[in-house]
Amino acid sequence: MAAKPITSPVPVSWYPTLSVFMLAIGLVLTASFFIYETTSSRKSRSLAKELTTAAVASFFLGFGSLFLLLASGVFV
Amino acid sequence: MDALLRARLLHLALFISLLLSVLSHASSQELQIVNAERRIDLTSHIIKVYLTLKVENIGASPASEVNLAFSPSEVEHLAVVKAAATTGKKKKRTYVPLDVKSSEQPAGPNGTKYFTIILSNPLSKGETATLEVLYILTRSLEPFPAEISQSESQLVYYRDSAILLSPYHVKQQTTFIKTPSTRVESFTVVEPTKRASTEIKYGPYDNQTPYTYAPILVHFENNNPFAVVEELEREIEISHWGNLQVTERYSLVHAGARHKGVFSRVDYQTKQGNIGVSSFKHLLARLPPRVHSVYYRDGIGNISSSRLRTDFLKSELLIEPRYPLFGGWKSTFVIGYGVPVEDFLFESPDGGRYLNFTFGCPLADTVVDKLLVKVVLPEGSKDPKAVVSFPVEQRLETKYSYLDVVGRTVVVLEKRNAVPEHNIPFQVHYSFNPIFMLAEPLMLVTAFFFFFVAAVSYLHLDLSIRK
Repeated sequence: MAAKPITSPVPVSWYPTLSVFMLAIGLVLTASFFIYETTSSRKSRSLAKELTTAAVASFFLGFGSLFLLLASGVFV
Repeated sequence: MDALLRARLLHLALFISLLLSVLSHASSQELQIVNAERRIDLTSHIIKVYLTLKVENIGASPASEVNLAFSPSEVEHLAVVKAAATTGKKKKRTYVPLDVKSSEQPAGPNGTKYFTIILSNPLSKGETATLEVLYILTRSLEPFPAEISQSESQLVYYRDSAILLSPYHVKQQTTFIKTPSTRVESFTVVEPTKRASTEIKYGPYDNQTPYTYAPILVHFENNNPFAVVEELEREIEISHWGNLQVTERYSLVHAGARHKGVFSRVDYQTKQGNIGVSSFKHLLARLPPRVHSVYYRDGIGNISSSRLRTDFLKSELLIEPRYPLFGGWKSTFVIGYGVPVEDFLFESPDGGRYLNFTFGCPLADTVVDKLLVKVVLPEGSKDPKAVVSFPVEQRLETKYSYLDVVGRTVVVLEKRNAVPEHNIPFQVHYSFNPIFMLAEPLMLVTAFFFFFVAAVSYLHLDLSIRK
């Protein structure tokens, strides 16, 4: 069996698009998180909902910023 | 008085040569060289010597090794020794590469060092073999005069022996020296010696005893760029996210005759062709195909005088330093580029990964005094192992780059006296678990999550004084 070339897990040309969309979703979720935090009172707030929104938002922001780094030529 | 001295010297020389021949006979191998032809190419500052030897076994036992002898000064400047056995006649000639290794045996007369060619099939009694040897010498042309002004041409000395230094008896031999131009100031005559345009022919000489040495000195014009990179550091950073980033730090010097007096830019620019002929103002770097984000800069900033041409097989980067380089002048700069990872990184059938990249200096016709190739492996890779087809010094380092915690393993390969013949592929094998690729994004995700948790906990805390 011949050696097979190693490619990136995601095609390099998708990085800018992925970065824009993931960061957009992440920022929208961040906005909704802070809207929820400021509009609900301390008693009516649900910790589970807060943490779920935070987790999903940080996932999108984390991967979005990674793809932003990759798209701008900073290969980590 | 003079005649007496000369006679004594002659006696001494005779005695020494007698002693040498006795010594060599003591350690004699039963080989002789039927015919030796040496072609010395002095057209560049990298001296290439093509040696064709017809070796015959005159002993009883089969011989599997042929020794090449080099003088101590040659060994010091020797960059490459390659050998091949040839079979067949003119058109159907085939070359079989042979192993050459630096010999362990004690130095011969006058500090002669040996290299051993290992024959693929031993020579039995009476058999002959034709060997082609190529060896390359660097920094062996001595500029004379050592200092020249801007308008002068560069003249250099080349020292060698008219008779091939060999541990064997040589029946017949000829040496051809090729000079870059017809301007040859002087050359030592060892009869028969003939000069025709750019070629000097020494020989043929018959029946030379082992270790015969006839020093010659050729003084000729050589205006080729004496481009020497004193130190080149190539850093190849592997990212499994799809890129190979190469950064090359050069410190270039013109190793020819030193520049004397003032430098006139006006003369240099208006009288091109006969002013500053030994200087050079541009260099060609051969980069891999599909390069992107190429840059060329130094401590000041970007150097705009460069041109990049790309095609399917190679990319050529023509770089112009900030000033033309005259003898002794230096220039430091950095070239960097990225290449797609799939062209150079492979997965071997056993599951390991390896990088297959070109060793050596991308600049054409350049000698590198000290070459450092640093392969920066991705974080989390294990068991690095470099495979290079010539001896290099190896060591490991650690480097911290973007989003690194434990640091990246760096395989450092160091080679002294590298010439373009060292631009051959080398491999670095390592094992890497793709799960480590997720370390960087997860680090970013965690950082963002901590920010949200901080916000949540701040809003859940009651920090008001009024109850």
